[in-house]
Amino acid sequence: MGIHKLMTLIADYAPSAIKENEIKNYFGRKIAIDASMSIYQFIIAIRTDGDVLMNEHGEVTSHLQGLLYRTARMLENGLKPLYVFDGKPPLMKSGELAKRKERRQKAEAELTEASEVGDKELAERMAKRTVKVTSQHSDECKRLLTLMGVPHIVAPCEAEAQCAELAKSGKVFAVASEDMDSLTFGSSILLRNMMMSEAKKMPIREIHLNTVLETLNLSHNEFVDLCILMGCDYTDTIKGIGYKKALNYIQEHKKIEDIVRSLDPKKYTPPEDWSYPEARELFLSPEVTPGIDVDFKWGDADEEGMVSFLVGEKSFNEDRVRNVYKRIEKSKGQGSQARMDSFFKTIATPESSKRKVDPSGVMGSSKKSKIASASGRGRGKKR
Amino acid sequence: MFEARLLNGSLWKKIIESIKDVVEDANWECSGSGISLQGMDSSHVALVSLHLKSDAFDPYRCDRNISLGLSSTNLSKILKCSSNDDSVIIRTSEASDNVSFIFESSNSEKVSQFDLKLMNIDSEHLGIPDMEYDSIVKMPSNEFQRICRDLSLLGESVQIACTKDGVQFTSSGSIGSGKISLRPNITAENLDDTVNIELNEAVLLTFALRYLNFFTKATSLAPRVILSFKTEHPLVVEYQIQDIGYLKFYLAPKIEDDDTKQTTTPD
Repeated sequence: MGIHKLMTLIADYAPSAIKENEIKNYFGRKIAIDASMSIYQFIIAIRTDGDVLMNEHGEVTSHLQGLLYRTARMLENGLKPLYVFDGKPPLMKSGELAKRKERRQKAEAELTEASEVGDKELAERMAKRTVKVTSQHSDECKRLLTLMGVPHIVAPCEAEAQCAELAKSGKVFAVASEDMDSLTFGSSILLRNMMMSEAKKMPIREIHLNTVLETLNLSHNEFVDLCILMGCDYTDTIKGIGYKKALNYIQEHKKIEDIVRSLDPKKYTPPEDWSYPEARELFLSPEVTPGIDVDFKWGDADEEGMVSFLVGEKSFNEDRVRNVYKRIEKSKGQGSQARMDSFFKTIATPESSKRKVDPSGVMGSSKKSKIASASGRGRGKKR
Repeated sequence: MFEARLLNGSLWKKIIESIKDVVEDANWECSGSGISLQGMDSSHVALVSLHLKSDAFDPYRCDRNISLGLSSTNLSKILKCSSNDDSVIIRTSEASDNVSFIFESSNSEKVSQFDLKLMNIDSEHLGIPDMEYDSIVKMPSNEFQRICRDLSLLGESVQIACTKDGVQFTSSGSIGSGKISLRPNITAENLDDTVNIELNEAVLLTFALRYLNFFTKATSLAPRVILSFKTEHPLVVEYQIQDIGYLKFYLAPKIEDDDTKQTTTPD
């Protein structure tokens, strides 16, 4: 899933691109969310005793449970979520998808075996691997979102790419996803941990693509090549090149073609028929609906509709559903608080710009270390 | 080398107490012209801009521009260790990663020194353009504090309307509503008690009372407060600290959502 070790790379080499924030500070922000990914995570994560939540007809309800509470939490905090569903999978992903299918089948076989011999732990683990999001799950989620007054759209192809397009075109403030692909697709801001359960009290991590690129001194095209080298969903990688080497090579040679030429053939062999140009193409110009053509609006929640769907059909507790409705409604109509940055523009501080003299490139060029090293002062990090 | 001594040390205490609810960590920029600070709250709704002139200090020495990253909470803790009639010296050098606060009692019998570790703070600096405001209200600072406190009993936000007849503060919530009107009054015996309205254009704006109540902690710094309004712009709440400098708070207004737009006009 996503780009292998990209988060580690950013945390190591461009820590200033990551900020932590509380969810309440995102009030009024429009946030695009990869719905299919979220549904998948809900089905995996929301379980009791290792089993998915079900109603009395044996229908899975974990995804609805997750969607209901997480969406309500965002609305309560004044966020404006927009869900984006996957369209058709891209051809390039067929390899990855086939692999996933194979893994799922293998897990299913192991699951049957494990439950026969009574190995509960293994069975539980395998059960999670057999999870597949069906179109029924998606349709139910779309229905629930409509009832909650939350907009959703279907991407022509990958939802992740569509989310990125919405962020790039300024239609939304950021993309909320756990999938680091979003950055490769060009999302200006990626938010992680948005769908975490409230009980975990995880702060939202905000990752800024521009800061990543500036700090690593890469263009977006070079960044895409870097991601392909590190390992993405669409093609293979060169064995023996991890994220550190990949970064060094990209900074030195700029693109995969030149890296391949410079490599010692005895040490590293690029995969046969390596389809990196296609993967690159997919990241740089994916099939998406242009941001200006996408229209969405947040409406009112339908209390009776929510009750009849969730309580009537899915056996949710009625009081809880009505409670969620009340929470959603309460958050509305307070008028929205504007932010300073919509009136005054950020300017570079004269202080820090004067101190931008650190020539050491990647390793220590985060804003913080610039100040420290240039002023010759070894200040302790904020604790 | 940087050194600044403020004879009236209790001013520092008051300043920090007024800003610490808004700005958690901030860079104090020290230069030849004095000490200044700009910072926002974590949700970027409010902004503090402070400037203390170098003349206010005796002595004031700043060999090179220097920026001191400090946490307001820690600063407040340290300053609470000073007595009200102490003088306060702030001292640091380029090579140091500490800043010293030295408190000297008025009879020079007691000297305390506290060192605070400096922090690296990644702060955004906003450019605030000079602009023409639609209306400017000057009034006693304690009166403004009182109004904000009283109205926050009723609601979360206050609607402020400035017209040629005066300025009106309204708030409403689940228990009811409140309305406080002030008429311009320039004949008060004490000049500090007057309410003065300069009006270019009538305005109607809504603000979160929570922040206004943070700002009015600065009331003890100045007898007067200056409120500058401009339609669809942040409010400026300004306290002129006599002979020392100024403390300005900016607050972004609340804006009605597009789909629930109301058509109220100032009456």
